[in-house]
Amino acid sequence: MTSILRVRALRKEFAVHERPPGVAAALRSMLHREYKKIVAVDGIALDIQPGERVGFLGPNGAGKTTALKIFSGLLHPTSGEVLVDGHEPRRREDAFLKKIMLVLGQKQQLLWDLPPSETFELNRAVYDVPRAQYEATMRELTALLGLEDLVKRPSRTLSLGERMKCELAAALVHRPRVLFLDEPTIGLDVSMQATVRDFVKRYNEQHGATLLLTSHYMEDVAQLCPRVIVIDRGAILYDGALGDLVTRIRPDRRIVLRFSRPVAESDLAALATVVRHSAGESVLQVPKEAVNAVVGRALANLPVSDLTVQSPPLEEVMSELFARNRPRAATGEAPP
Amino acid sequence: MRRPLARYGRLLLVQLRASVLLGMQYRADFLLDGVVEVFWVATAIVPLLVVFAARPSVAGWRFGEALMVMGWFTFLEGVLEGTISPSLISVVEHIRKGTLDFVLLKPADAQFLVSTARIQPWRALNVLTALVLFAWGFRALGRGPSAGAVALAAVTMLSAVVVLYSLWLLAVSAAFYVVRIDNLSHLFNAVFDAARWPIDVFHGAVRFTFTFVLPLALMTTVPSRALLGVLPLRSLVGSLAGAALTFALSRVVWKASIGRYTSAGG
Repeated sequence: MTSILRVRALRKEFAVHERPPGVAAALRSMLHREYKKIVAVDGIALDIQPGERVGFLGPNGAGKTTALKIFSGLLHPTSGEVLVDGHEPRRREDAFLKKIMLVLGQKQQLLWDLPPSETFELNRAVYDVPRAQYEATMRELTALLGLEDLVKRPSRTLSLGERMKCELAAALVHRPRVLFLDEPTIGLDVSMQATVRDFVKRYNEQHGATLLLTSHYMEDVAQLCPRVIVIDRGAILYDGALGDLVTRIRPDRRIVLRFSRPVAESDLAALATVVRHSAGESVLQVPKEAVNAVVGRALANLPVSDLTVQSPPLEEVMSELFARNRPRAATGEAPP
Repeated sequence: MRRPLARYGRLLLVQLRASVLLGMQYRADFLLDGVVEVFWVATAIVPLLVVFAARPSVAGWRFGEALMVMGWFTFLEGVLEGTISPSLISVVEHIRKGTLDFVLLKPADAQFLVSTARIQPWRALNVLTALVLFAWGFRALGRGPSAGAVALAAVTMLSAVVVLYSLWLLAVSAAFYVVRIDNLSHLFNAVFDAARWPIDVFHGAVRFTFTFVLPLALMTTVPSRALLGVLPLRSLVGSLAGAALTFALSRVVWKASIGRYTSAGG
């Protein structure tokens, strides 16, 4: 199968004007400016197949948003190759722009003072969507996102969550085949996050659209993306299945125990490393191969009322991955 | 792409519709805009009355002829304030907020989309006022315009609109580099105000600037001469060439600026 997104040796540099704080430095900088080269994307390569759901993970400033903006043609790469379904994004051909959409959780395209339905109508005209197809799409989006009452109210009167639902609808009027989502759930409450996630997943399944998503909420990624690409300082640290990443970085398991009566921490420490210990609940960290033995001993020796075995939280896996990358980046040493 | 002209015609209608809806969303503002507009147009005539009360002609222009210049100025001001300025000011807003992303993501010419984004329907009042000023002027002169003169005036006015739009686009393109261009737009409006007088009123360097650098002469004096039936051929050629040149230049600069766009935030 040919990739819908093909990236080779992609690099993006920005020249950033830098000056020390203070009035004197500000005056000096008016005469002579010092520019520092920032490498936002540093030679990444990746392939995404049609219909895939891929999570783009990385700390702030890792280069995720820059990469998405290059993929959607907003930014021109310094060097390297990007092909989206055979199109070079920087050329911004109509045929390319009709196939893709970039949803930016922190920015909005809805006309602020008009109802969202006006933005939908504007997009219908811009994207040349036939009337019948437009109406079918709107019916579907309205039902899935529960937009009935929202689309007739001025956008400025909508809540953040309601607005995001309408933003998604506006982005999908032309049924893009490739959807870049940059922090689509930012600032939303937990139930609204789930709504957005479910909707995005269903859009992918029903229309075979390809998704590339960035999010600070690991839950988004865990629920949506079988494959993750981890990026830090403009370089790819990991590309593969989410489960494999967790196993590779943190091969240990968490055993969560609840007791019918208080248990001393020393009794637990004899079994395994104690991550958390409180009156009602304790969490142990155990190497994967030792899980059976530790569970057996806990059940035999302690007043266990409830027991579950979990993978370490994704947030911890990520911060450990980035922490491992930092000393390497700083000293140039090979990773352990 | 099937028939791009028809497509852009449809797009224009949809954009205009959104602007009119926006205008009507705030009914009180809509009404107030109209009242303010009538006031402005009325006060614009006062300086002309003051100057001509003392003498029969200024720099070779009689009162009735000067009214033509004032008429075209009012018309052009309506075009500027009603269509060009609000649309292009919204580009600056887009650049500052980073929402120009959404314009650039659309499969249509970005310059077209931003240039037709906003209109102020009340500014159509300027067109009516211009017609009144023309009628008044011809009455003062004791004659009417010929059909050929009207046609020629329409052509030169179209050139003037193109020049005005192109200069504004150049100014807006500067926003890609410096982000804040409020002062530039104030300066532009202040200079544009000089177009209410015939170019012959000015002398030396100012006249040269208003003819070739910021071609105010092209904007009001040339269409007025056309309407009065006294336009030299070289002025007509100059008007058309000037419009083609400034438009081409602004298009090139706009394209280059878009390429430099770095998109705000994240």
